[in-house]
Amino acid sequence: MNALRRVAVIIGYEWRRALAKKWFFALVILAFAIQVLVFVVFNFLFTNPPANLPPFIRNALGQIKPFMWTVEVLIPQLFFMMPLIVIMIAGGSMSEEYEQGTSDILLSKPITKLEYMTGKYLGGLSLLSFVAALTTILGAVLAIAFFSPQESLQFIPHIYLAIVYSNLVFLSLAFMFSEVLRRTTLSYFSAIGVFIASIVISGVLSAVYSFTWEQLYLDVSKWLPDWGATNFSSFVREKLMNVPVTPLTPSTQGGSDLLLAGAFIAAYTAIFILVATIRIVRSDVTKKAA
Amino acid sequence: MVHALSSQSVIATSNLTKFYGDFKALDSVSFAVEKGWVYGYLGPNGAGKTTTIRTMLGLLKPDQGEVQITGINPSKDPVHALQSLGYAPELPTLQTFFTGEQLLDFMGKMFGLATQARKERIKQLLDLVGLKEWGDKKIGNYSKGMVQKLSVALALINDPVVLIMDEPTIGMDPEATAHFRNIFTTLSKQGKTVFISSHLLDEVQRICTHVGMINKGRMVFDGPIAQVIEAFTQQWVIEAELKKVTKNMLSALKKLDYVKDVKAEGNKLKIELKEKKDFRGEISSEIFKRKGVLLSLNLHKITLEDAYLRALKGGQ
Repeated sequence: MNALRRVAVIIGYEWRRALAKKWFFALVILAFAIQVLVFVVFNFLFTNPPANLPPFIRNALGQIKPFMWTVEVLIPQLFFMMPLIVIMIAGGSMSEEYEQGTSDILLSKPITKLEYMTGKYLGGLSLLSFVAALTTILGAVLAIAFFSPQESLQFIPHIYLAIVYSNLVFLSLAFMFSEVLRRTTLSYFSAIGVFIASIVISGVLSAVYSFTWEQLYLDVSKWLPDWGATNFSSFVREKLMNVPVTPLTPSTQGGSDLLLAGAFIAAYTAIFILVATIRIVRSDVTKKAA
Repeated sequence: MVHALSSQSVIATSNLTKFYGDFKALDSVSFAVEKGWVYGYLGPNGAGKTTTIRTMLGLLKPDQGEVQITGINPSKDPVHALQSLGYAPELPTLQTFFTGEQLLDFMGKMFGLATQARKERIKQLLDLVGLKEWGDKKIGNYSKGMVQKLSVALALINDPVVLIMDEPTIGMDPEATAHFRNIFTTLSKQGKTVFISSHLLDEVQRICTHVGMINKGRMVFDGPIAQVIEAFTQQWVIEAELKKVTKNMLSALKKLDYVKDVKAEGNKLKIELKEKKDFRGEISSEIFKRKGVLLSLNLHKITLEDAYLRALKGGQ
């Protein structure tokens, strides 16, 4: 059996492991619920706009309506549901096996540590791709069914790929913590902690920028892991369709930010995977937790 | 004891040393296990048994020394070294989201077995370990003993050449324990090598051909099971029960060349011998000569347990 088949066996295993968890379904259903809720709100605004709605919002709503599918598709990302789902998928991926002692059983089979880790990571990535496909399909179907006509539908695959790519940061971060710490609860807390801290610091820096107009604060916030992860797919959308992500979102700097966000995602992902690789290759397989 | 790593040995360790921080868990452990042996690996809790096994499987990297499984180092080439190996850990936690059949099927896939081969093997193994009726049930519903049985089945999925078992019958009822002992003996007769770590000395004495003893990370004995008993036997003792013990008889027995000492307790005599030889015929003749009535006469040989305890005390 070649290395690819061994990796494929572990990918299949990872799917079974994740799909056996109730929280996985709960989070996916929550992401769907948020999409439906946003749909209901916009449907109300389009069909029965309040009389006192300011004209600029009324105007923005008119502009966004033909692109409502993008709003629906990007909502799980913008509401941090997708990063949370990937943290929950990857945060226990390696550590649970160490804690339960199943890593001893798996790694005493004819497979290298690197193949095992690759299978685990790709298993998480394929699950992320699957969940992103489900939310993309649901968002697009809702928009096409209720807000027709919809424009630029040919970009659905591009947006889908952008969502998957932008979530690599937190998938890899949680995966790294899972392998490095080898304790599931600690791994979840650490990944979610970094995620929340990054969002809070970003918010503070943006607030300081709005008072001082010092570009430095915005530039610093771009180095935080959440910036690329939460904005990349919106930048892709803006680049492809030349419209802001929501009726009230100002247009960004387009191409330059898109490239920067893409580069940060690639850099963070590479660093996190490298750290996890060094840890698994250089250290012993941790014994089952007592 | 340093074993040259020979390609003929199915399992060979050479000067295996492992530290956990400052604690030396294994100290130059060397042994070799040949094809067809049932090798019992004995030692008290914390002696280094599981560390040895985990190092043998490539799960731990030794600080010094080397392991070879069928001539291949599992740390360097796990794919080839572990292809023909089966391993059942001590008190395993198995993936509860699988049924027994599904987990066996998954492990079969890890060894690259074809679909049809897996199906047939799973049926055979569930039957062999007595879990035929439980194959389609989630492992979460299994008892501890059933998990242990499934763990042995998992170790056999690839029809291994070498089988490594860490306390394989722990948690099993006596009937299942006897059944599994038969399985291990049968596997050995089929030419497979079985390595069993156990604290059940009776079990090891019954099924093992060779034994290794480890204490505080150091090998204190490695060899055939008969040899270990011989090596740790300090003296043989004959125990005799008579209708009546007389002073005359007692002093006559003490004067015999091959008798070291005789102790009397009521009608019972404990005759310590100078040589490791069965003198029951001679002793009974002497008793009859003195008109004694013999009720029983037993030669007390050392058990593996005695040898084990002496080995641990540094009695070799």
